[in-house]
Amino acid sequence: MGLIIEAERLSRSFGGHAAVDGLALTIAPGEIFGLLGPNGAGKTTTIRMLATLLPPSGGAAQVCGFDVVRAAGEVRKRIGYVMQQVSPMGSYLLTGREKAEIEASLYHVPRRRVKARAAEVLDLVGLSEHADRLVQEYSGGMQKRLDLACGLLHRPELLILDEPTLGLDVHSRHRVWDHIRGLCAEGMTVLLATNYMDEADRLCDRLTIVDHGREVVSGTPAELKDALGAPTLDEVFLRHTGHALREGEAG
Amino acid sequence: MWAQEVLALSRRWLLMVLRERLNLLFSVLQPAVWLVFFAGALGGAVDPRVVGTGDYIAFAVPGVIAFTVVGNGVTAAMPLLFDKETGYLDKLLSMPIRRSSLIVSRFVFQVGMNSAQVIVILLVALALGVRPASGLLGVPAILAATALLTLALTAAAMALACAVRSHGTFFAITGFASLPLLFMSNAFVPLTAMPGWMEAVARANPLTYAIEAMRLLVVDGWNGRVPLSLGALMVASAALLAVGAWQFTRQTRERIA
Repeated sequence: MGLIIEAERLSRSFGGHAAVDGLALTIAPGEIFGLLGPNGAGKTTTIRMLATLLPPSGGAAQVCGFDVVRAAGEVRKRIGYVMQQVSPMGSYLLTGREKAEIEASLYHVPRRRVKARAAEVLDLVGLSEHADRLVQEYSGGMQKRLDLACGLLHRPELLILDEPTLGLDVHSRHRVWDHIRGLCAEGMTVLLATNYMDEADRLCDRLTIVDHGREVVSGTPAELKDALGAPTLDEVFLRHTGHALREGEAG
Repeated sequence: MWAQEVLALSRRWLLMVLRERLNLLFSVLQPAVWLVFFAGALGGAVDPRVVGTGDYIAFAVPGVIAFTVVGNGVTAAMPLLFDKETGYLDKLLSMPIRRSSLIVSRFVFQVGMNSAQVIVILLVALALGVRPASGLLGVPAILAATALLTLALTAAAMALACAVRSHGTFFAITGFASLPLLFMSNAFVPLTAMPGWMEAVARANPLTYAIEAMRLLVVDGWNGRVPLSLGALMVASAALLAVGAWQFTRQTRERIA
């Protein structure tokens, strides 16, 4: 089986500043792959390139076998993108069901299947009971689960999750993790960008730590910990990214 | 596929509006206020020989319609503006949809909303004694002029929404531009009553052609100049659509985090 993500020398600069600088990534089907790095390391820029939102300024990336620039349309059909920020303005006056149905139509779910498919994904994340409440009334955890559900409407091959548990309480985080594990058990591939090392440790089959737009180290969580004799991934992360506090951002 | 996208997005716009009942109520009521209080009061102070009719309210109906379309043009761009700022636009752009659906659905929705509002304005005018000289068949023609003006102004507002860095700038510019756009047109004063320079500016204003067509239909009846004005309006709409499409392409091609 081919790779789900294959990026070579992927680069992107903004006005002379290289946000992503020659990154290589390979992700196999069924993997949960973690993209880790300090704030500003280039995680979101990488994700935006892989989600066809930002053209690379150098290198190339194939997602599900299609080039993210030349065949962006084919890539979009095959990915579910769950953004970091929940988007209340985008949907807060809609009910969860309405949002899911509208997005199902936008993913070209056949018209007669839209209602059923929206109900299925809402059920999958445990929101059936709340489907007819306004998104405005949802808690942060419910909104996140709704976004996750909406990323699944078209049965994507790859799910891109940008900080899926940011700001969630412990219960909600565990629920989101359970959903992610459940999806992977069914063969979904997941690209997970996160700042939570415990999350990466629990979920990821393999991960890459990036800093200054470049790969610092890659491997399974166990490999990375063993190599440094570090007890936690936090420790691995701090050692690889240099310092406990980044001077550039402290001020 | 394309119809499915446009319908789904239009449904989103419609649901969002219907959930804000007060907002809807006030935007529907506003034109009535203009007709009753503004045109009703000003009518007594206006020389019928200058405006070409003794019925100033009839004269002002097209102006009020244009004013309403200008106001709605500003709100037309708001979802795009906020989707851009909250990041939901990124979610939409990561979907396998045609970029144009985002714009076209907005046009479909705005034309629908504005048509409904024009009908309310015409009903209020009817209650105030205005009988369009072009009869019942004039109504679809007035709606056509409204639709063209809606396209032009929605495109302009969307282009601006794409071009600005944040909604603050957008509202500063639209707040500043709305009144001159209105007063530098024949909305409430005929072109012939303006100083020469102002008349020249008004002739470059797409509003003028929409108002001219509608005014002929309301005050004079069917007239050979109606298609001429509508033709000029079409040219203006096409030009603004081109600008809107260019700005939107620019915005969606190269988005910066």
